[in-house]
Amino acid sequence: MADVAAIPVSRSGRGRAAALPGRVSTMVRLVVSIAVTLFGLMALTFFIGRLLPLDPVAAILGDNASQEAYEAMQRQLGLDQPLHIQFLRYVYDIVRLDFGTALMTGKPVLEDIRRVFPATIELATVGIVIGTGLGIPLGVLAAAYRDTAIDYFVRIFGLLGYSMPNFWLGLMGLVLFYATLGWVEGPGRIDTAYQWDIEPVTDLLLLDTAMAGQWDIFWNAFGHIILPASILGFGAMAYISRMTRSFMLEQLAQEYVIAARVKGLSWGRTVWVHAFRNVAVQVVTVVALAYAFLLEGAVLTETVFAWPGFGRYLTNALLGGDMNAVVGCTLVVGIIFVGLNLLSDLLYRIFDPRTR
Amino acid sequence: MTYRRGQTWRLALALLAGSALGGAAQAATPGNALVMAWNIDAISTFDPAQIGEVVTSELIQNTCDALVSFDPKDEAKVVPALAEGWDVAEDGRQITFRLRDKLVFPSGNPGSAKDLAWSMQRVVRLGLGNAATLTEYGFTKANVEQMISAPDDRTLVLKLDKPYPTSLILQAIAANRVATMQDRKTIMAHEVNGDLGNRYLATNTACIGPYRLRQWNSGEAVVLEANEKYWGGQPKLRRVIIRHVAEAGTQRLLLEKGDVDVARDLTPEDMQAIEKMPGITLARTLKPQLVYWGFNNAHPAFANEKVRLAMRYLIDYEALGKTVMAYNGVPRASFVQLGAFGALDAKEGQPFSLDLAKAKQLLAEGGYPDGFEASMIFSTLPYAAPIAQHIQANAAKVGVRLRLEQMANAQLFARHRGREFESVIAAWQTSVPDAQGNAARLILNPDNRAEAKLTQYPSWRHSFASEAANRIAAEALLERDEDRRVALYKQLQRDMMQSGPTAIMFQSVHLAGVRNTVKNWTWHGFGSYYELAYKE
Amino acid sequence: MPGATSLGAWLRAPVPNSPFQARMQAFWLGWRRLRGNPPALAGAVMLLLLIAIALFAPLIATHDIYAQDLSSRLQPPSAAHWLGTDDLGRDIYSRLVFGARITLYIAFLAALIAAPLGLVIGATAGYLGGWTDTVLMRLVDIFLSFPSLILALAFVAALGPGIENAIIAISLAAWPPIARLARAETLTVRKSDYIAAVRLQGASRMRIIVHHVMPMCIPSVVVRITLNMAAIILTAAGLGFLGLGAQPPSPEWGAMLSTGRQFVMTSWWIAAIPGTAILLTSLAFNLFGDGLRDVLDPRHG
Repeated sequence: MADVAAIPVSRSGRGRAAALPGRVSTMVRLVVSIAVTLFGLMALTFFIGRLLPLDPVAAILGDNASQEAYEAMQRQLGLDQPLHIQFLRYVYDIVRLDFGTALMTGKPVLEDIRRVFPATIELATVGIVIGTGLGIPLGVLAAAYRDTAIDYFVRIFGLLGYSMPNFWLGLMGLVLFYATLGWVEGPGRIDTAYQWDIEPVTDLLLLDTAMAGQWDIFWNAFGHIILPASILGFGAMAYISRMTRSFMLEQLAQEYVIAARVKGLSWGRTVWVHAFRNVAVQVVTVVALAYAFLLEGAVLTETVFAWPGFGRYLTNALLGGDMNAVVGCTLVVGIIFVGLNLLSDLLYRIFDPRTR
Repeated sequence: MTYRRGQTWRLALALLAGSALGGAAQAATPGNALVMAWNIDAISTFDPAQIGEVVTSELIQNTCDALVSFDPKDEAKVVPALAEGWDVAEDGRQITFRLRDKLVFPSGNPGSAKDLAWSMQRVVRLGLGNAATLTEYGFTKANVEQMISAPDDRTLVLKLDKPYPTSLILQAIAANRVATMQDRKTIMAHEVNGDLGNRYLATNTACIGPYRLRQWNSGEAVVLEANEKYWGGQPKLRRVIIRHVAEAGTQRLLLEKGDVDVARDLTPEDMQAIEKMPGITLARTLKPQLVYWGFNNAHPAFANEKVRLAMRYLIDYEALGKTVMAYNGVPRASFVQLGAFGALDAKEGQPFSLDLAKAKQLLAEGGYPDGFEASMIFSTLPYAAPIAQHIQANAAKVGVRLRLEQMANAQLFARHRGREFESVIAAWQTSVPDAQGNAARLILNPDNRAEAKLTQYPSWRHSFASEAANRIAAEALLERDEDRRVALYKQLQRDMMQSGPTAIMFQSVHLAGVRNTVKNWTWHGFGSYYELAYKE
Repeated sequence: MPGATSLGAWLRAPVPNSPFQARMQAFWLGWRRLRGNPPALAGAVMLLLLIAIALFAPLIATHDIYAQDLSSRLQPPSAAHWLGTDDLGRDIYSRLVFGARITLYIAFLAALIAAPLGLVIGATAGYLGGWTDTVLMRLVDIFLSFPSLILALAFVAALGPGIENAIIAISLAAWPPIARLARAETLTVRKSDYIAAVRLQGASRMRIIVHHVMPMCIPSVVVRITLNMAAIILTAAGLGFLGLGAQPPSPEWGAMLSTGRQFVMTSWWIAAIPGTAILLTSLAFNLFGDGLRDVLDPRHG
């Protein structure tokens, strides 16, 4: 099993393959361990939810409500029950996929999340396309030309991506590219003028408009998405190029590479065809994890770009004191992360020759 | 290396530029729609029995007519709305409203006085935030069916427990969202667990007004659509689209680029820039909202009225008014807002200025020559942090050490209501252009005991109880001689500027950037009238 | 102590005569490797500079960082205010200088909480194995199920805003990767002969973990935490940006940025300056951490 420390990245380690202790031999153990993790997630989110110094009752009733109305609402929400009963009720509700009603919207939290998620998916997908499209070639090049100017450039560029406060970059990007130069569209997903002309099928605007042949709207949406997606993609690019470089270095030190060279294969062919093929699986798992990290990056980026997605929903919930929504979002992110980690772990186990 | 990097940047820029060429269509808002950028985070429901915050109040005012309305041109006057006219009984304890003929809900159901009486009773029966609007004037769950009644389809009778001034009742109740006509049939069809349709109205409107709610996506947009069946004729702008934009800077950009017609949350700096810009006008009106520094009178230092008075001399009203609050408030120290019945004029209502020596002297008189320590909580509103830091810096100079703590509105709210604070920067908005509105909440405190939990009274939250002030407020309320009533309120204002529980700092100003394509944008402190606007 | 002339020889002696000399030799070797790594050296220099700025802030700053002057607010950079003034007329340059203290304070304190916590939990789990391992690692997994910013956001929302709470929240989000790393390192040493030898001498488990296992994990933990500091700084800035971190009038960079955001269209430098400072600091930690890994952890070049 790959040593975690072998992944030379600041943000990694947590997301890496070594998600499960020991060698998991049976599906049963896997299922049990997932169940335990999910239960732990629920306990942690419940704990955070109860700790929140926000007053859900006051948030519902407003500034002007009498104490009598206040206490009635408290009873209705079950907040007068002892903690362990509240927890059981919480677990029971979640198992039935009832995350409660968001105070901000008056709708079930899960419905809200379902509604805002496509915007985030679209943003993250464009971001990962940019990040992967740049990150992989840069990583491979850096490894192939180790310790040359290219390598340094890629590494520094990557480090910049790691070190960048992306909300700040977004802010500056808006000032420069939208306000000053006018090269891209402004905040939001689409111009208001177009908002009501789209027939939502997938809720992914680029896809919906392209399928309907509404190219003017498509380009408008593209102009809106390109800046935030590039900024998210920059972070992903940093991660992907770094990991690709490190995987490639490992491969390029193998004997078969030398053998290939001796046989007279060109360096380019050796690198791209032989070495890269061997790291492709590892790279795919990295891309999957980078995708998950975009969710995190999206929280602040969406706030800056007024992007109506999951990240902004969460920040709004947090600042607006919407306990159900905060807890629901945190839980959903947790579940997605567990899922993606599991996926990347499985990919790794299936394809990696050393764990086979 | 730098060379290569430069190249990459150029490439990236070229790619970005390419995207812009594709999206060349210049933004413009539709000609028959009003598009506004506004921070609408606070919306949580459209139930008139529950709403309290600014955004939904304005939306409900445009979607649900009340019995009477504030005159769009003069907030101090009321004009007919659902009611064509009204008669007041000799003893001032009964008002009979005559409703308009042929009122129809957007659903097609006919609207009658019975629906209206039910709607008003509903507010009291639900006991949510706005029930207080009615209970304050003696309506209770037990008596509301007798006190509000509909003898026939076009008559609504309002009985009062005391002979309140009629103008006050018209403003406070008849023009308020609690007197809107709700579509009983539609609402009750969606009742869940006896909630009288509270859940349904969280995301719907079902009432008679120039517009109706077509769509609300939390944190994204609200769309209003002209109500085809409206009695008052059709508005020129068929749609009102309110885009949620949290950042002032973004709102300004959208306005400049013509992506929106109106921007509602601009910062003073944005306003300054926009003022000079062709094609955009600044619309401005006073709001019935006061921004204040409130003291918890349970804190030993703040219990002393000399200390509270000293605090007022730590505020540089003038400098703040010219900078941080330049566009969103005017200095005001009286608890009655400008424009209200009984208010002190601008000059008399703000006698304070930054005076550290005076503050120091008052502190010494109050027994705190070396100052004291206290915390100050404030929200994330843009002006709160600069004001808090300004006061903190001045306070430090007279030995008063303030610990600042910023928090989300919801949290501030909970702390304020629970008396869990030492001092707070907060705002209070009244719904009537009458001194009574604020006197009844900011000054009057019927019961200061902790267990009374009068959390809807800021006076209670500040643990402030003054027998004398309570007496004057009660007397002024029922005084039938107008001049005498004004005199009482003026006396109360002068007293409270010296000894009141809070240092009132500013009266808020409503400001909006409006593109010149929008004509006749009409608003005042008690409403904005979308239906009067049009485009050319 | 040998004289200056023989210092070089002492450091290069093929066989060290004392543990002290051995340690010094290791440092010397590390220094030489670091010196051969320009990016890492750049990172180290930037960090030293930052630490110097933080230490000598009162000498370097030109203005009182709390002194307000409403008549000269939102000024662009000038001779009087090198980096301009903020919305209350305070000198941005001086605030930036003092802000370095806060940033370093957050980064180091969070690291000082997270690293030992992670080290102890990881080493214990790895050495003891069995149920302890399962339970502790399950806990780690649960924490790792959240992106660190979201976890920190949730915690800080629960604990209330403020710099101390932000540090606690960040530490709570930062320890699990360290624990996992320490556990992995422990697994590689627990079966080694010298641990067996110590055990045969009758050392308690506690003693073995603290004195023999944990020291072996320290190099990689130090590398990881240095790299993590970059992420810690970004998270802290993010919290400050949302108004959940350091409270006014603290000149914390994220909070300064958050103020600047309101004025970004009119006075862009108010946001640009603290943002650049955050970027450079985080970059310095990343550069230095990278170099440190090359030095301390030669296996993973």
